[in-house]
Amino acid sequence: MIVERRLSAHLDWPLIAAVVLLTLIGLATIYSVTWDFRNDQPGPRFWAQVYALPVGLAALVACLAIDYRTLTQRSLLIYGGLLLALVYVLYFGAVRGGARRWIALGGWTLQPSEFARLALALVLAMFYGESRRRARSAGELAVGALLLAGPAYLIYKQPDLGTAATLAPVFVGVIYVAGLRFRWLAAALVLVVLASPVIWRYGLAPYQRERVVTFLDPSKDPRGAGHQQIQAKVTVGSGGLFGKGFLRGTQGSYGFLPVATNDFVYSVLAEEHGFLGVLVTLALFLFVIVRSLEAAKLAKDRVGAFLVVAIISGFFFQVVYNITMSAGLAPVKGLTLPLMSYGGSSLVATLAGFGLILNVRMRRFTN
Amino acid sequence: MLSPGAWEDRRSLQTRLLVLRIAAVAAFAVLLVSFWLLQVVQNARYEALADNNYLRTIPLPAPRGLVFDRDHRVLVENRDSFTVTLVREQTASLERTIQLLSRVTGVDESAIRDVIQRHRRDPVFRPIPIIEHATLAQVVAVRARRYEMPEIVVQTVPTRHYLHGIGAHLYGYVGEIQDSQIDRPDYAGVEAGAIVGQTGVEKAYNASLMGDDGRRNVVVNSVGREIQELGLVPPVDGGRLQLTLDYDLQRALEDAFRQSGFAGAGIFISPATGEILAATSLPAFDPNDFAVGINPARWAELNRDPQKPLENRLIRGRYSPGSTFKIVMAIAGLSEGLVTPDTTVNCQGGATFYNRFYQCHKRTGHGVVDLRRAIEQSCNVYFYTLASKLSIDAIHKYARWLGLVGPTGVDLPGENDSFVASSEWKLRTTGQPWYPGETISVAIGQGPVSVTPIGLATMIATVANGGTLVTPHVLRAVDEDGTGWRMADAPSPRSALLIRPEHLQAVRDGLWLAVNGSAGTAQRLRIQGKDVVGKTGTAQVISLEGRRAAEGRTARDLRDHGWLVFFAPRDNPQIAGVVFGEHAEHGYLTAPIVRHVLDTFFAKQEGRPLPALPAPPASVQGGLPGTAPGAR
Repeated sequence: MIVERRLSAHLDWPLIAAVVLLTLIGLATIYSVTWDFRNDQPGPRFWAQVYALPVGLAALVACLAIDYRTLTQRSLLIYGGLLLALVYVLYFGAVRGGARRWIALGGWTLQPSEFARLALALVLAMFYGESRRRARSAGELAVGALLLAGPAYLIYKQPDLGTAATLAPVFVGVIYVAGLRFRWLAAALVLVVLASPVIWRYGLAPYQRERVVTFLDPSKDPRGAGHQQIQAKVTVGSGGLFGKGFLRGTQGSYGFLPVATNDFVYSVLAEEHGFLGVLVTLALFLFVIVRSLEAAKLAKDRVGAFLVVAIISGFFFQVVYNITMSAGLAPVKGLTLPLMSYGGSSLVATLAGFGLILNVRMRRFTN
Repeated sequence: MLSPGAWEDRRSLQTRLLVLRIAAVAAFAVLLVSFWLLQVVQNARYEALADNNYLRTIPLPAPRGLVFDRDHRVLVENRDSFTVTLVREQTASLERTIQLLSRVTGVDESAIRDVIQRHRRDPVFRPIPIIEHATLAQVVAVRARRYEMPEIVVQTVPTRHYLHGIGAHLYGYVGEIQDSQIDRPDYAGVEAGAIVGQTGVEKAYNASLMGDDGRRNVVVNSVGREIQELGLVPPVDGGRLQLTLDYDLQRALEDAFRQSGFAGAGIFISPATGEILAATSLPAFDPNDFAVGINPARWAELNRDPQKPLENRLIRGRYSPGSTFKIVMAIAGLSEGLVTPDTTVNCQGGATFYNRFYQCHKRTGHGVVDLRRAIEQSCNVYFYTLASKLSIDAIHKYARWLGLVGPTGVDLPGENDSFVASSEWKLRTTGQPWYPGETISVAIGQGPVSVTPIGLATMIATVANGGTLVTPHVLRAVDEDGTGWRMADAPSPRSALLIRPEHLQAVRDGLWLAVNGSAGTAQRLRIQGKDVVGKTGTAQVISLEGRRAAEGRTARDLRDHGWLVFFAPRDNPQIAGVVFGEHAEHGYLTAPIVRHVLDTFFAKQEGRPLPALPAPPASVQGGLPGTAPGAR
């Protein structure tokens, strides 16, 4: 055993069960979306996701096995490695759909940006936890903000605004539990409101501005992004209370809902399994989040607690945003649903993150 | 152990974690409510939108029912028409396909390119119809190269096909249902784009002839490709009709009529029942042009044609009956007791009534004639005299009994009324009373008298059968669903006029003399051994004075129309009818048409071989110069 018997007794099995269950539900949904009605078999994306699962579980075990303090102590190294990978991607990465996001490794591709959250969580937990800093001074906040800005900028340049945006909640989560004063929070809010016209004008590409406009009035672009939003609503709304049944969905399988395996996988779930399916999965996601926050509460030190909060904040943000979007209630953004969307790197990074959370809880009594 | 500062830290951390937890629960509660609203409250709306996305109904047109003649010979059927289509998805090189297809079928490359350009937005897997109604040669040529051009697919479409090139105005034609028709109750259940009968039998019996279209319910994906078939309702063929027509007589009528070169109409009916054995209106159109969707140029051409080939003269054309109206006068005079068969009049080439001189067509006069001779020689003076004793309303009454007032009720759409004036009519339309002097010209079928050829046919049929006004009709039997023929209910007679036998005999004798007598006006109808009886008539197109004035100033044909009414044999009539020749000048010039049909009728009855159409006599020159009606 890599993990000592004494430690494994403190493993949070309910959390593991919920995470694995969500992953399996995600797999089943991808199975249904990719179903090939001519040859009666699931499509290649399903199998790619199946192969990613053991890799993800291995990553989870690996992140569980090594003491998290060992990792936080080396977090600057990990963070630096990540920055290098992101720079490498910017220049040599594989291009798909106009974006340069991947590193090709033989037959596989790796998306480093998916691991940025973990690296950032580790380095921020170390910075605010280890040194007993309390994120109360401008200087302390500025250092954290800089740590956030590096990878966020590199990912934004790929371009991948969605994934870059998921780094922000990691930072916000950590500084909040690290004792951010209320007036800073209020100041940040005011700043965002004041800066939004500037961001609108200079920070967003025209297509991104269009997406927001389209969200506010989908009929302006019924064939493009507005189409996705309308069809997402149709997909979810047509599910009803009990859903159309497994493999019986029409919106995802017949291609009326674009990117149904990625960003809109939850729409298909809502279509096939109805409101009851939504109820069950939302309960599972909420359980995972609450259980993780409990791990933070039980953590034996600030580093552990901050690490858990950093990881689960990013997760929480992504889950809520993606599910809102999947019902056509938020602007369409290239943002995956953790554990469920198609994408090997996302699955592996998410499972690795839960490995760290389990790690913190498991080691709550060790010195 | 934790230091006091750490305790403080920990308490602050616990509070903040609790806040995060509450935030998470709140966010998920909001999500849950949103999904409830979308999925449960608004479910019906979104379900309809989703169904609309992926369910398609593809109609499978049902073939219309076949139409047979009275001997079960097929007159109208359905044929597969071929459409050469291109499936772009399967082309290796569109350019190569276009070139090859053009070479193989002889269709211009640019024409093919135009069609593809028009369909460029269609999904690539949907066949583009490149050549509609392709010729057999094109189909064979394309099929021979099917391994070279797998992207070219020949589709078959059931299309109405009218055989033998006859009966156009009887069958009518089919076309897409019009906006003005779709809401009418007789087209209930017919959807836009459906093919329905637009004229003739096709229209009159459209409900029987139309089958029930089938449909395929299919699932399509977002690009419109068919994924799955959910259900199939096969089309049900339309009901079959048997007409009262006799193909042999119809053929004889049309062949002879075309040979004569006249425009006009002709009808042969069974006087006892009103069954139409043969009927035509010429010039005609080719209903097959309509079956494949008439092209606008052809349609414009048909509408522009001064000969009006789309007009069914048989039931829509109204003309003065001319001397054929003397039959009505004779029966009216006899029945009213104003004359007997032996009443004589001395014709001196004309006579004066109400201070006006009326001419007979024979300037030298017919001398002393009785009723029979008056009919034989068509003596105007005899009937002028009769008219001077008859009231217009009495004439109107007998005309009605003989089928010359109003429609005949034939089962063909668009029939016009025949018309004979009455004093009530004159008062109503002009506010003037009828003047007895006006009755004089009515006696010879001029003035306010106009009849359709089919109306005149019911008149002669009534004389033939002894007074029963039958309703002409073309439907004999119906087989609605392939289970067997059921005789159609023959329309009941409209009225019965009691004509005393000796009166009837006198009129028939007069008509017999007109054909068989030495001075008869319809001698050209004579058939050896058959007691054919008949009467000619001339409908003035323009008055004599008018004609002189118009001389050389108009290109319009101002020659008179010619009528022939007839039945045979005299004493046991089995066939009666009318032939109307537009600008034929004299009724007797259309006699060869009638004779050929009657020859055919008798030959058939006696089991003899059917007669061949005799060569046209050199003296017959009808029709407009430079036109060849019916040339096809």
